[in-house]
Amino acid sequence: MSQLLSVDEASRCMKCGFCMSSCPVYTVDHIESHVARGRNMLIRWAGDNSISVDGDYGERLSYCLLCGRCEAVCPAKVPSAAITVAARTNWVSKKGLNWLQRFVYRGILKHRTLMARLLGLAARIPGVSVKDGKPLRHLADSVSIFARGLSIPKLSRPFLSDRLPSRINPPKGVHVRGQVAIFPGCAFEFFFADVGERIALALAEAGFEVVYPQGLTCCGLAVRSAGDLTTAQLMAQHNIEILSPFDHIVTGCATCSSALKDYGKWFPANDEWQLRASNLSAKVSDLSEFLVKEGFQPRPTEPVTVTYHDPCHLKWRQAIKDEPRQLLDSIEGLKYIEMEGADECCGLGGAFGITHRDISLAIQAKKMESIKKTGAQIVVTSCPGCLIQLRDGARRHGLPIEVMHISQIIGGQREQPRKLRSTGDGGEQSPHPKSAP
Amino acid sequence: MSLSSSTLGKLRKIVGSKGLLTTQVDLATYSFDGTSNWQALPEAVVFPTTAEQVSQILRLATEQGIPVTPRGAGSNVSGGSVPVLGGIVLCTTRMNKIIEIDTANFTVTTEVGVVLNDLNREIARHNLFFPPDPQSFLAATIGGCVSENAGGPYAVKYGVFKHYILGMTAVLPTGAILTLGGSTVKNVTGYDLPQLLCGSEGTLAVITQVTLHLLPLPPARQTVLAVFNEMVTAGKAVHRVLSEGIVPAKIELMDNWVIRRIEEVTPLGLPLEAETIILFELDGVPEAVDRETEEVINLCQEEGAMEARAAYDAKEAENFWAARRAGFSAIFGNAPIAFAEDVAVPPSRLPELIGKVQKIAQKYDVTIVTLGHAGDGNLHPCVLTDEKNTEHYGRAEKAIHDIFSAALELGGAISGEHGIGLGKKKFLKKAMSPEAINLLRGIKKVFDPKGILNPGKIWEEA
Repeated sequence: MSQLLSVDEASRCMKCGFCMSSCPVYTVDHIESHVARGRNMLIRWAGDNSISVDGDYGERLSYCLLCGRCEAVCPAKVPSAAITVAARTNWVSKKGLNWLQRFVYRGILKHRTLMARLLGLAARIPGVSVKDGKPLRHLADSVSIFARGLSIPKLSRPFLSDRLPSRINPPKGVHVRGQVAIFPGCAFEFFFADVGERIALALAEAGFEVVYPQGLTCCGLAVRSAGDLTTAQLMAQHNIEILSPFDHIVTGCATCSSALKDYGKWFPANDEWQLRASNLSAKVSDLSEFLVKEGFQPRPTEPVTVTYHDPCHLKWRQAIKDEPRQLLDSIEGLKYIEMEGADECCGLGGAFGITHRDISLAIQAKKMESIKKTGAQIVVTSCPGCLIQLRDGARRHGLPIEVMHISQIIGGQREQPRKLRSTGDGGEQSPHPKSAP
Repeated sequence: MSLSSSTLGKLRKIVGSKGLLTTQVDLATYSFDGTSNWQALPEAVVFPTTAEQVSQILRLATEQGIPVTPRGAGSNVSGGSVPVLGGIVLCTTRMNKIIEIDTANFTVTTEVGVVLNDLNREIARHNLFFPPDPQSFLAATIGGCVSENAGGPYAVKYGVFKHYILGMTAVLPTGAILTLGGSTVKNVTGYDLPQLLCGSEGTLAVITQVTLHLLPLPPARQTVLAVFNEMVTAGKAVHRVLSEGIVPAKIELMDNWVIRRIEEVTPLGLPLEAETIILFELDGVPEAVDRETEEVINLCQEEGAMEARAAYDAKEAENFWAARRAGFSAIFGNAPIAFAEDVAVPPSRLPELIGKVQKIAQKYDVTIVTLGHAGDGNLHPCVLTDEKNTEHYGRAEKAIHDIFSAALELGGAISGEHGIGLGKKKFLKKAMSPEAINLLRGIKKVFDPKGILNPGKIWEEA
């Protein structure tokens, strides 16, 4: 069975248009070439050369967030996100990458040590990194001009790999259940290292010896999504080599877990890597998925109201929607409020949030409206991309709400987390609002 | 023809640069609708946001003789929104505000680009109900539904779009903006122009806003599944239920082929051996729903159903209806071309029509898949074929021809709810007299003297 999906699947679309009802992009701009139905037709026509495969065509392929919502309503179950990725891959193999993509994908993302060195240098620039306390807002803004106004999170200092010991044991008195390897992904390594620590701690509290394997690189999804399959495969192979010895691989990043679980589909059937990749994929869990399966009981909290935002990569790509809510529901003292359209996209979609800024902001505005209506004090999510976009939105719309990764709230607030190494870190956001009643 | 850059400049001035598409890839995505066999490229796509902008576009088009094809979501299945003569596609999807929900008078006033499902969600917050339910409701816009006079499963009890239209704002091809009808259920003021525009397939005017009549949401509903080993027996059971004075909200029919395809894609536990499944929905006050549910089950059993039972719970009921909605997709996904026909006969003649369709399938040796609205006599026999196989395609066309003849012989219509568009215009002569078709032409001329609005649809040029 070939695991690499081809664009031919697009011909199964029977043009009912149901995807229009759920596409975050189409519901903002109503342009047919930006929704699965129209794009699938373009991809079909490009395949039989009935339209010219030019820059306009390539650009239309970029208008997909790859959220997968369209697939949930598609009566013919057309895998439109994967088809778009396949079409981008064909496009890249024909037209090549632009210099920036080549530099980022093949130069930086693929070479983690180079990335660490570059970002490490950047972190020395005052204002670009955060060591403790609140980030300096105006300096973050000055960096954000490179992202068309999106507030980019500051670099963590030090990075996660320098914060965690090579092994973390469960706290005294907790029954040891086994060992997990954490896959932090670029976001928790470089930008949200404080969250990365919380993820490791939650797993330790659940009774697992936590290992942060050395030498991991980026999961490769951004590269794969942009159509650079060759580089993505090299990155996957690199990670598979390192992660294969472990029985459980857990990540707090919805994007990374969706990528790692998909590695098996990144290689053709006759490729020796296909089986290795599939075997690895089977051992990967999202943090909430893993903790619920292991019966983890979060610690109580001071009274606080919380709502949850479903990351697309968790709900639509992995069908994980109940587990995060179960975890939140089980926290004593926490009042959970479901928001309207909790599973509506936040609008970031990786680079989409920068390249298609106007649409991204319009999608973000809808999400902010839903969050505002809940009146909750904290919005929790399970994806660093969503964290960036929701924090950016909360600031843009002046919402008095804290945005947290799920690991930051399940650890309880009665005790400060154990210091893993003395880093002087206080986190980018205080994990629990002082204003809680 | 090709639009001059000065014309494009004028369009850009009217709708702004974000409201105009002209690149080849964008135009290509407005060359088709929900059918599998009609395609034609427009030269520009415009997204007006107000009636005034629509007026300016139409005035420009009339001045310059440019064809304008109105389009909502393009989920129609008649070829009606395909721009066969090129020109401008006028897309209404950005006129998408619900203007007022009047809970005291049970009306909603809305712009036409609002998607039917979104409208339903909003009015449901006020415990209100808009019954017409074309199965494209996740995509279809109100404007498209009004223009096609769309209907769906609820037609058996609640009728179709035309039964709910109280008033509208429409723009004539000359640019005049008209307010027609009003907001009352009863209104006899001259010719009923809103009713004329409803179902006119975008050939007379561009509707920009409508006021629709609403109902209170029924407090209870129940679904009954009845399984038959012969389609004709199923037809008889439906007739029996209606004759006993029960008016279910929906009575839907699916044949064995559809049942099997649905089970392949989304297993729901439908009985694979069944020749036909009928789904009934009963709605109203809880006591009446309970009693009617029981009666429908008894009557189906008396008429020879293999199985008849109520859905175990709301979840199972929703699964059954999701399966019915998936029916068309199952058909379209299984053949290069599926002619989804849309004939309607008086309900009592439905068993005869079904029998005739089965004979036609045998006669021409083609697969005809059948699903439809058994309660109102609207059947969708779908003929599966492949345009690349000209011999088979020829037989399929003959089969369709015979289906139309059969429906007309039984006192029926060649289209129940999809419209004529391009797909059925060559059959119009069979359904209407030459004098009546001339009347259509004359009406068109009064509204659209230059013939710019959705040209090439409904009737063949003499």
